[in-house]
Amino acid sequence: MSALVTLWSVSLILCLVGAVALVALIVVRIFSGRASRNRERVRRRLTPALLGGDANVEKLSGAELRFATDLALELAEFMRGTDRAELLAVAAALGVSDLLQKRARSRTAQDRLTAIEALALFDDHTGVVEQALDDSNPHVRLGAALALSARGDAPDLMTLVRKLRIGEAENSLLLVSLMSDIAACDPDAVRALLTDEAFPEAGKVAAVDALADSGYSHAPLLAELAANPRGAPDLQPRVFRALGRTGHPVSARAIEAGLASQDWRIRAASAEATGQIALRRFAEQLGGLLSDDHWWVRFRAGEALLRLGEPGNAVMNRAATGADALACRAATTLLAEKAAA
Amino acid sequence: MNAGAEAIALVVIVMGLAQTAFNLVQLIYAGIALGTRPPVPRGATLWRRYSEQAPAISVLAPAFNEELSIVESVRSLLALQYPDFEVVVINDGSSDGTLTKLVESFGLRKVERYVDEAVEHAPVRGFYASRAIPRLLVVDKENGGKADALNAGINCSRTPLFCAIDADSILEADALLRVVRPFIDEPHLTIAAGGTIRIANGCKVDAGRITEIHLPTNFLALVQIMEYLRAFLMARLALGKMQALMVISGAFGLFDRQRVVEVGGYSRDTVGEDMELVIKLHRHMRDLGLPYRVEFIAEPVCWTECPEDIRVLSRQRARWQRGSLECFAKHKDMALNPRYGRIGMLGFGQILLVDVIGPLVEVLGYILVPLLWALGLLALPWLLAFLAVTFTLGIFVSMATLVLEEIQLRRFIRVRELVALAVIAVVENFGYRQLSNYWRLQGWWQFMRKQKGWGTMTRKGFRTG
Repeated sequence: MSALVTLWSVSLILCLVGAVALVALIVVRIFSGRASRNRERVRRRLTPALLGGDANVEKLSGAELRFATDLALELAEFMRGTDRAELLAVAAALGVSDLLQKRARSRTAQDRLTAIEALALFDDHTGVVEQALDDSNPHVRLGAALALSARGDAPDLMTLVRKLRIGEAENSLLLVSLMSDIAACDPDAVRALLTDEAFPEAGKVAAVDALADSGYSHAPLLAELAANPRGAPDLQPRVFRALGRTGHPVSARAIEAGLASQDWRIRAASAEATGQIALRRFAEQLGGLLSDDHWWVRFRAGEALLRLGEPGNAVMNRAATGADALACRAATTLLAEKAAA
Repeated sequence: MNAGAEAIALVVIVMGLAQTAFNLVQLIYAGIALGTRPPVPRGATLWRRYSEQAPAISVLAPAFNEELSIVESVRSLLALQYPDFEVVVINDGSSDGTLTKLVESFGLRKVERYVDEAVEHAPVRGFYASRAIPRLLVVDKENGGKADALNAGINCSRTPLFCAIDADSILEADALLRVVRPFIDEPHLTIAAGGTIRIANGCKVDAGRITEIHLPTNFLALVQIMEYLRAFLMARLALGKMQALMVISGAFGLFDRQRVVEVGGYSRDTVGEDMELVIKLHRHMRDLGLPYRVEFIAEPVCWTECPEDIRVLSRQRARWQRGSLECFAKHKDMALNPRYGRIGMLGFGQILLVDVIGPLVEVLGYILVPLLWALGLLALPWLLAFLAVTFTLGIFVSMATLVLEEIQLRRFIRVRELVALAVIAVVENFGYRQLSNYWRLQGWWQFMRKQKGWGTMTRKGFRTG
């Protein structure tokens, strides 16, 4: 019986605790409402100062500095070039960068990331941003790496690979942006990752996409990877798609082999690449793929044929009137789609 | 005192305690999830960070007899902030002017479209598109239900991800940018992600956007706001953190198209098609032995209109209950099966506790415990313990959810709204909770009778600005 009464008592106590917490939060809300009106007033007053470009201003403190910091970051998000540089100079004079340095040590990862990204906009705080590469939160580490690489101030790629644990703990698609920035100034470092047997496949996927984005000159390496897969089945379709994006005809032989691959993902990616590079001599092989078992392969083959011009159209028209039902449907519908587009 | 009466009361109290204990665990997990969630940047920051790498998304919007709202809904979808997306509206055999409205308003004409046949659905009558709006495709098909329409949308989509929504709901402009985060952070693992559903009753809507957030004045709508808070902020967030999420709302979920195709798309023989899809995905990935993640994210919001009429609400709740039972019955081999890990033990355990046995035992308790006490067969402590598990602990869970919302998200703008919800957190336990359990029993009855179909959902329409 006592257990039953205890249950009742505990439930009443819990209710009371919940009610007290709610009342406390409501009281806090009433006061924060006043603070928010004050915030609006300060923002209205500070906006002309921040946009005025005159760095000869007095340092702020307390709530005003917090409001000024948030406002400066919002404005900086929409500005570029000298306008942003002038804004940041005023912000620094107001004490914004000092507060950001404090926030970079906050216990909240969200605050640290925002502060780190903002500090990277200032020229004289990259040291703090570099320290954030050792942060305990992976989002903060990646944010710091992206901010540094966007400035061209990132440490060498192997350091980033180690600190971010790229390909192991860190597999974000944002690694492509990071590696693209790095490939712009140090393409050999990114290329080296692709030939490193020990480097995880997930990281290689990002490296492949980054090299494809940075252009033509990496096509031979990608073609070599396509022709000689190193036991990474999920990487291969990405390599073929990357070949298409480079637009380099050096990959023709690899793509021809890809069109006949056992893996439907590679056939689809190769068909897509054929259209992107306009490899007209593969029109017949693409025509064969119009009757592939996989819809994505048929679709990509049809799309590619329509990009090849006359030889592609000829194959499509032939398939549209042919006896193979799958190829006929793909060709007829895609031709009609193109005509309507 | 009577031993039989005490045994009945004990069963009811233990069940209630088990549910409360699970709710408390969920509250703790939800708190941890919110406290440790990745940084939540502003919309502009999100765009800068994600726009280059965000994977393309097909937004699938099934529509059935929605001529009054469809044009505004589609305009709102076309204005979503996302770098690469297409909107596929599937007219599911509407008998009103839904298709005509779409064709006339967006200058559409009949086109051909080469589509996959990966999942089954009722025949498509035609495709409509416009050169001026290349992001928009309208699929006109024979009526087959929501799951059937979504399957048609999946076949039409040409992107790696698709987002299933209700055509009459309103996605916040940056909802796609926010819900795609797990697919960017863990592209090799994430197969599905759900966002929060919020109730738009009372809010002002202008040009397909929520412009002013207000609480509704209707009591039933207010109570549903509290229910949605518990369902999304507490339960789904916690189960997502535990990696035991069993349902992603049909009104807003993002999925890996290839994985969904592998499980055959949405099942057309259940009204719990959204829950069943997630269960099928769990089963598939576990059978393949592949690592994967199904996530829930609190920030992206989809606004929906909830029923304010008691008859419509009762039908909806009975249908939801039936959907849960259908899913449980269909996949009962997974329940409490260690082979399916936390999905079998935790996810199905929760369905068993909350959806399968919960309403039966609770209603039994409402009838028998006070009666047995009044007849002198039970001592007062038994009645008090029963009141604790059905009323006071229920109030505590609701208040704790509201505290969590206020500390972490602060989505209710005015103080008086917070006060109103605090009152609702108490009041809902007296009358509404019992009624809700009665509707769930109706769902049980429908399930036993193998009743099919959705029934009608009458909508009042959003309050425009």
